[in-house]
Amino acid sequence: MALGFLLPALALLGALVVYPIVFSAYRSMFDASGNTFVGAHNYTRIFTDADSRTAMRNTLIWVVVAPSLVTVLGLIFAVLTERIRWASAFKMIVFMPMAVSFLASGVIFRLVYEGDPHRGVINAVLTTVHDTFSSSSVYPGAIARPGSPLTPAPGNAFVTTTGIQPGHMVLLPLVGLPAAQLPKSATQAVPAPAPPPDGISGTVWLDFTRGGGGVQNHVDPAEKGLPGIRVQAVQAGKAVASTTTGPDGTFAFTKLPAGTYTLKLPGGNFAAPYQGVTWLGPSLITPAIIGAYIWIWAGFAMVLIAAGLAAIPRDVLEAARMDGASEWHLFRRITVPLLAPVLTVVFVTLVINVLKVFDLVFIIAPGSVQPQATVLALEMWRVSFGGGADQGAGSAMAIFLCLLVSPAIFFNLRRFRQEQ
Amino acid sequence: MTAFSAARAPARALSWVSKGFVQIVLLGIAIFWLLPTLGLFVASLRSEADNTNTGWWTVFTKPAELTVSNYQKLLSGGGFTASFWNTIWITVPATLLVVLIASLAAYAFAWVDFPGRDWVFLVVVGLLVVPIQVALIPVARLYGLIGIFGSIPGVVLFHVAFGLPFAIFLLRNFFMGIPRELLEAARIDGCGDLTIFFRVVLPLGKPAIASLGIFQFMWVWNDLLVSLVFANTDSQPMTKALQAQMRQFGANIDVLAPGAFLSLIVPLVVFFAFQRHFVQGLLAGSVK
Amino acid sequence: MYMKGLRATALVAGLLTPLAACGSSSTTSGTSAAQPLKGVKIEVAAKWTGVEQDNFLKIAKIFEGETGAKITYTPTGDSLDTFLAPRIQGGDPPDIAVLPQPGLVAQYAGQHALKPLSADVVAAVDQNFTPYWKNLGSSGGTPYGVLIKAAYKSTMWYSAKAFDTAGIQPPQTWADMVGPASQKLRDSGVKAPFSLCGASGWTLTDWFENVYLSQAGPQMYDKLAAHQIKWTDPSVAAALKSLGQAWQPNQVAPGALQTDYPTCVGTVFGKKQAAMVYEADFVGTEMSKYPGADQDAKVFPFPKVGATQPVELGGDIAVVMKDTKGAQALLKFLASAEAGKAWAALPGYFSANKNVPPTAYTDAIHQQLAQTILKVGDDARYDMSDMAPAAFGGTDGKGEWKDLTDFLRNPADVAGTQQKLEADAAAAFK
Repeated sequence: MALGFLLPALALLGALVVYPIVFSAYRSMFDASGNTFVGAHNYTRIFTDADSRTAMRNTLIWVVVAPSLVTVLGLIFAVLTERIRWASAFKMIVFMPMAVSFLASGVIFRLVYEGDPHRGVINAVLTTVHDTFSSSSVYPGAIARPGSPLTPAPGNAFVTTTGIQPGHMVLLPLVGLPAAQLPKSATQAVPAPAPPPDGISGTVWLDFTRGGGGVQNHVDPAEKGLPGIRVQAVQAGKAVASTTTGPDGTFAFTKLPAGTYTLKLPGGNFAAPYQGVTWLGPSLITPAIIGAYIWIWAGFAMVLIAAGLAAIPRDVLEAARMDGASEWHLFRRITVPLLAPVLTVVFVTLVINVLKVFDLVFIIAPGSVQPQATVLALEMWRVSFGGGADQGAGSAMAIFLCLLVSPAIFFNLRRFRQEQ
Repeated sequence: MTAFSAARAPARALSWVSKGFVQIVLLGIAIFWLLPTLGLFVASLRSEADNTNTGWWTVFTKPAELTVSNYQKLLSGGGFTASFWNTIWITVPATLLVVLIASLAAYAFAWVDFPGRDWVFLVVVGLLVVPIQVALIPVARLYGLIGIFGSIPGVVLFHVAFGLPFAIFLLRNFFMGIPRELLEAARIDGCGDLTIFFRVVLPLGKPAIASLGIFQFMWVWNDLLVSLVFANTDSQPMTKALQAQMRQFGANIDVLAPGAFLSLIVPLVVFFAFQRHFVQGLLAGSVK
Repeated sequence: MYMKGLRATALVAGLLTPLAACGSSSTTSGTSAAQPLKGVKIEVAAKWTGVEQDNFLKIAKIFEGETGAKITYTPTGDSLDTFLAPRIQGGDPPDIAVLPQPGLVAQYAGQHALKPLSADVVAAVDQNFTPYWKNLGSSGGTPYGVLIKAAYKSTMWYSAKAFDTAGIQPPQTWADMVGPASQKLRDSGVKAPFSLCGASGWTLTDWFENVYLSQAGPQMYDKLAAHQIKWTDPSVAAALKSLGQAWQPNQVAPGALQTDYPTCVGTVFGKKQAAMVYEADFVGTEMSKYPGADQDAKVFPFPKVGATQPVELGGDIAVVMKDTKGAQALLKFLASAEAGKAWAALPGYFSANKNVPPTAYTDAIHQQLAQTILKVGDDARYDMSDMAPAAFGGTDGKGEWKDLTDFLRNPADVAGTQQKLEADAAAAFK
């Protein structure tokens, strides 16, 4: 009788879950073709192959970082929502991503992490904030041509290569600026008038004639001055005087003590605009994907923990409050210990889930950074079905993954026994 | 958050301030959580050229640029509509079958005595955490042999098999809670196991079955990996159809954004309609 | 979609001297009154999305109209390999797969996943293709595939406006392109001379191959392609060094590694942050997305690095995976001049069929390139990475794709890149 009830379930489990484990274990001891027995080679390969080592490292990062962050965030949300009236609305919003597929989440976060600040929302916010606090310069990206009297100095600045005595006029040509982006006030550049004996004059201008005409390091008729550039006269490493260029690019220092000066155009004139962060590059890809994962799973942790919180007897807390315990004390000494079982369940669930994470990495990481973003579950796929299609190695990774999650079986069984 | 409340606040004003602060923080978080999805939605309503050159938030300054042309294009193609129906043809049977098969088994594990019952159940619980990766290669071979590779039944069966351990675990625990007297009474009335199952256990198990159903529904609807391996073009669900467009993400936003949005509408509706059951399912037996 | 195609055609036509459309595709040849394949379903799987996919569907329509068969098109996504492997494993491959690399013909033939072409398909191939192209679809002497779509991969696309502003002409030599021309472009205020599609490894291999072909010559190219010389060879070092001149950080528009193809095209013609983007003739289909690009986009031949003017070609090879009447009939159709001409009238398509006359193309660029491609076999060479085993030359994030991505990240590391390339090649070529 019992058999009749169990048969469909056991047959399916046997054929599609248990048998595959056995078969994979067997297959993992053969090479790509499936004909040659290679013993444990495919398993040692997991630890020697560069890509699968990256996958192991990333999986480790995931396991260490993601579950704890999600649990802590869930705990914070759960505790905070106890204090507001629109708690259920808040919970619904945070929990909503759980209903969304990893694929859709992946598409969503590709849009979020897009590197171009005109398209990716995070970088748009970052650059806006950045530009609010440090105004961007008028002439980003200016360059000094090789052979010009200017040479680049640290911090986007330019300095003259030779010393200049008062009484001289200098020409300071710059290029690399789109003519269309010059300030409206810019007028045709002219060589500065000769200075008095105790002064230095000069011109800073865009030494580029549209269409490539003109003579280099020479003020040509079609070339415009660069207004508003700060120029410093530097002596022994110290700026002793400072001035600003006019609409035609000319500037003048007067009443300089005798001596040799270098002229410096400080970096503030040329700071490149802040472009935000390369989220989808090789160095930040894993944190970026973990960010998306937290967005999805924080609601899960929050809901479970909130349910745990609701189950904590109010009178215990009230009694402690009467005794004058602070809220922080209550939280640490009563709430958290009473929540411990729930927190453990949440944490373990997340660890298991994180070990198997596949879709999110597969979708969010662009092809060129998948080698840097790969995790075990994804690497197993890449190895078995990607170029080369080595299903022996893939089976070994699948079995390895099984072994990694197997401690959770005992955790489950113990929990199950306790519930009995 | 505790920094404010830590000050043993008898003063009401302080507590009011701290409450206001918490409200603002949570409001910020809620907006933060909504924003990415909103971005997807807005992007799906913008023309290809707009998405190529500017971000979706520019819509706030010039809302006139919104258009449904992306949706029209996507839905007129036929391929996407077909994949939508495939998703339904996969999800609905996979959900119903899991519920049926698992409740049968759960009943046996809960109320029918047979030798080795606990051991078999422990094995089933152990299978809860098996990663599906381990079955991809062997099941592909198996399906090839029996000729259901690439078909909807193949995808469905795979989902059912990997949904069973959790389903059995959840339902068995719930069925255990049914009062013994009810079952005894039915038995004394001369009911067989089958009658008891359909007349007593299933009706009483409704809440758990509902939770399980929602859970499984979402799980299957949102799956990518299983269909990636076991479905072909005729049987592919939306997730797989969209994934094929990811190769040129930057250029295919006009397909991906509306597609992703359409694919998440149904689970979202299900979620809002049945969120109580969904959450109960989570509480009843997480660890999957 | 139709509008888009139309605009793209108009644009490519505007690139050089506009020519009247000469498509002669409307002469439907031999309409068999009976529809011999009525109700037969044929599944075709290929990498094409967007315009490429739409254009293929138009050609498929013609076949459907003539035979009554029903063609299902399946885009395979990122990697054809990951798409096909489980389906072959499960015994349910598509009727026809379009392999983007000849290297895959040998690979799948080795797995017994391909069915030889039927006699009348082979006859059609012999009639329409030179032996060079026929061989690309063969493995071990058996013809398995038809090269239904070719690509001309030695075209440098540039913004005429940016060149005008900088006052330069299309450079004739590599040294000019990466030296004075680049300098002038930067001087003129363009952020960088080149836009690279670094997120798509295959575009990087194409760069390398043009440089190597030109610098080391066709004979060395063939040896390296067959892995008869090692990647640690000095000729590879020289090519990488040259390549490094173009891939320096100040030569490349920012974010190159995160920019996929065809987003990199927009860097030049949309965002205008660079002046040149290298890829094949099919770049032309992208221009409709960017306002004004149809006037602005021009091409010049990939400049000489060494003695040889590089001409690199690529293509997509259709193979039969299920030996059905429908599959063979469709391939026969695709191998015909009729299909080639009809396809040639659409934008972004290039035929290797010798009976598709240059006049079949509606734009001047393709008409000009078509002359070259028919003369292939002398100095022109097929895409090297596409002929290599997929694990080396055709997988995202593996082998040559990955190694060249790393090289773009650090263009100074010539020796290290060579080591990695050789190690990966040795593993894949076995």
